[in-house]
Amino acid sequence: MASIKERIMAVTAHVLEIDSATIKPEHDFGADLGAESVQSVELVAMFEDEFGVDMDEDEALSVTTVAGAIEYITKVCQEQDVEV
Amino acid sequence: MTDRKLTSTERDVLLRNGCTATDWNALKVDDGFISSRINRVYFVGEVKIGGLTGVVTSSGVEKPAGLSDATIVNCSLGRDVRVANVGVHLANYDIGDNACIEDIGTLATHSDATFANGVAVNVLNEGGGREVILFNELSAQFAHLMCLHRFQPALVERLTEIAEGYAAGQRSDRGTIGHGVTVRSVNTMENVNVGDGAAICGTARLHNGTVLSTLDAVTRVGADVQAEDFIFAEGANVADGAVLSACFVGQGCQIGRQFSAENCLFFANCEGFHGEAVSVFAGPYTVTHHKSTLLIAGLFSFYNAGSGTNQSNHMYKLGPVHEGKLERGCKTGSFSYMMWPCRVGPFSVVLGKHKRRFDTSSFPFSLIEANAQGHCAMVPGLNLTTVGTVRDGAKWPARDRRKGTIRRDRISFDVLSPFTVGRMIQGSDILSKLRKETDKSVDSVTINGATVKRVLLRTGEKFYRTGIEIYLLEKIARRVEQAVADGRSFVEAFQVAEGAVYSEEWVDISGQLMPRKRLDSLTDSVMNGSITDIDGFFNAIDRIDDNYDDDEWTWARHMYERLFECDLDDLTEDDLGAVADSLLKVKGKFLRQVSADARKEFEDMTGFGHGGVAGDVEHDFREVRGAYEENTFVTRMQQELEGLEIRISTLRATLKELSQQLS
Repeated sequence: MASIKERIMAVTAHVLEIDSATIKPEHDFGADLGAESVQSVELVAMFEDEFGVDMDEDEALSVTTVAGAIEYITKVCQEQDVEV
Repeated sequence: MTDRKLTSTERDVLLRNGCTATDWNALKVDDGFISSRINRVYFVGEVKIGGLTGVVTSSGVEKPAGLSDATIVNCSLGRDVRVANVGVHLANYDIGDNACIEDIGTLATHSDATFANGVAVNVLNEGGGREVILFNELSAQFAHLMCLHRFQPALVERLTEIAEGYAAGQRSDRGTIGHGVTVRSVNTMENVNVGDGAAICGTARLHNGTVLSTLDAVTRVGADVQAEDFIFAEGANVADGAVLSACFVGQGCQIGRQFSAENCLFFANCEGFHGEAVSVFAGPYTVTHHKSTLLIAGLFSFYNAGSGTNQSNHMYKLGPVHEGKLERGCKTGSFSYMMWPCRVGPFSVVLGKHKRRFDTSSFPFSLIEANAQGHCAMVPGLNLTTVGTVRDGAKWPARDRRKGTIRRDRISFDVLSPFTVGRMIQGSDILSKLRKETDKSVDSVTINGATVKRVLLRTGEKFYRTGIEIYLLEKIARRVEQAVADGRSFVEAFQVAEGAVYSEEWVDISGQLMPRKRLDSLTDSVMNGSITDIDGFFNAIDRIDDNYDDDEWTWARHMYERLFECDLDDLTEDDLGAVADSLLKVKGKFLRQVSADARKEFEDMTGFGHGGVAGDVEHDFREVRGAYEENTFVTRMQQELEGLEIRISTLRATLKELSQQLS
């Protein structure tokens, strides 16, 4: 199975319609990758769907970087006993 | 008026002053008549003149009441009227006290005038079939039923009888200019009635119309306006080259800056500047401000049109027969386009150029964007937690420009109401069903022409759940607080009022919200002849308005019990404490999300610091836009959040105390 990081990069690339190879962990979804408000909502939805978890919108939308997303989703998966 | 004939001395003075008459005996005057104040007037037919001892104020200058340089035909003039410089004639008018008529071409009423009462406006469907009859007492609700309830021919027939019956009563060979009216520098006014206090200045042409006005809600018609077959309601302002034909302009409306409209109805507090409207039913607070904007064959209310908004009602087949409906609270983005027929649910935002039809009425608060192919992509519920929606909810009541005691349009301002929350429940059910039925391999689903990404079905449900919970929990919490304050039991506080009506569905009658059953009762009353005139109609919708709070509570209670699977009467103090906690959680989250949305407006500083150096960008931004923390909206959200926390904490403490007392 692909790692959390790889899966997050793949989802991000799909939603933002960019090449996943260009995505770096330190990238800000908005400032660096061009995510707009609607795409941020879609990213959260896609992450939930990809990992089979339920995220708190407040917490999820406060994550701004790819690295932050990796950390946050890892935590959520652990809390919700989702194997990754 | 004493209506006496001129004395011979008075007639001599008039003759010396260059006056003539077809029949001096037909000229009647009142006590206080001063012949020296009449100069170079030609009297035709029967003319009555009131006292002329006082002054009138014209453009801030006091001038003596009197008549000069005019041809006056079959008119009755009240006390202290000033008429000066009438180029053609002033004919067949009854003019009230203190009116000032100066520098005009023609002001005349011809026989059998109706002053636009009875004019059929081809609203909403440019090809016909939804005509609304103009009359002075037209309201948004009356027009809504006449226009939209064509599936009830008997209703439309009765409403038409009421409207035409009223209109017949307006038919006259004489027009009326009310007390204190100013008509100045107007080219032509024919078959126009004018109410008290109105100011008509610099207007090009008014033909067949009524300017309703009262001293406490003055109507103004300004420079270069051209209007025919029109009614302007009290407190409206129509100015600056507006061109109107077959239009109703409601109370508090502002129309100007070369706006043009035909076959349109604009109800309370609408604004139309620069653009164009054709066959538009503009419910309250419909706003269009921009030059390249066309509104055509649409139903709108609490609406804002971005610049360049456009629609098509014509497929080059059977004529301009298509219609669109944007329910309350919608906005269209700059250069958005829709091809009718479409229907958009309440409080939605429409962006892009849509080349396909869609119906998103079950999905309020949605983002509706056209993709590159012109197909509709929807994110259900996204606009629920946006700054724009929250600001709009506060701004409309604050911008109610209606003054005076007469307010014909009934307006429910609530953003969250049984109407919108009912739609959210409906939308949530649809999304839930689709989510369960749609395989993960499917990327998107189509609902009535709108595409929704599969992953966003659940997101939409979550957004709607937030809105539904905020509304219902708030209603319960308020009842609990009232019970505590009044020293009543909770069971008492939760009781449904006698006479309250429950319907699962609520409807929006162009601004007035009501249960479906109240609407049915209203329409039945019209059809069975219980309501026979406009006063009866107003009384009926007033009664609906009076029952709003009770009907709303009935609905909220019913829905809460259904969705939370409980009976309110069985809830203990601890249960109610949990309700309070839930409200704090969900509403607190909502307020934080709205604040976070507002923060985005302070993140992009592109273009600021122009001409400065790097460090000047933030400084420039702060000087122009202010700081996020100091923004009035943001501080209001923060105060609301803090207030909510205190409120829930207080409520929790009270409930805990009550619970302890009981045990």
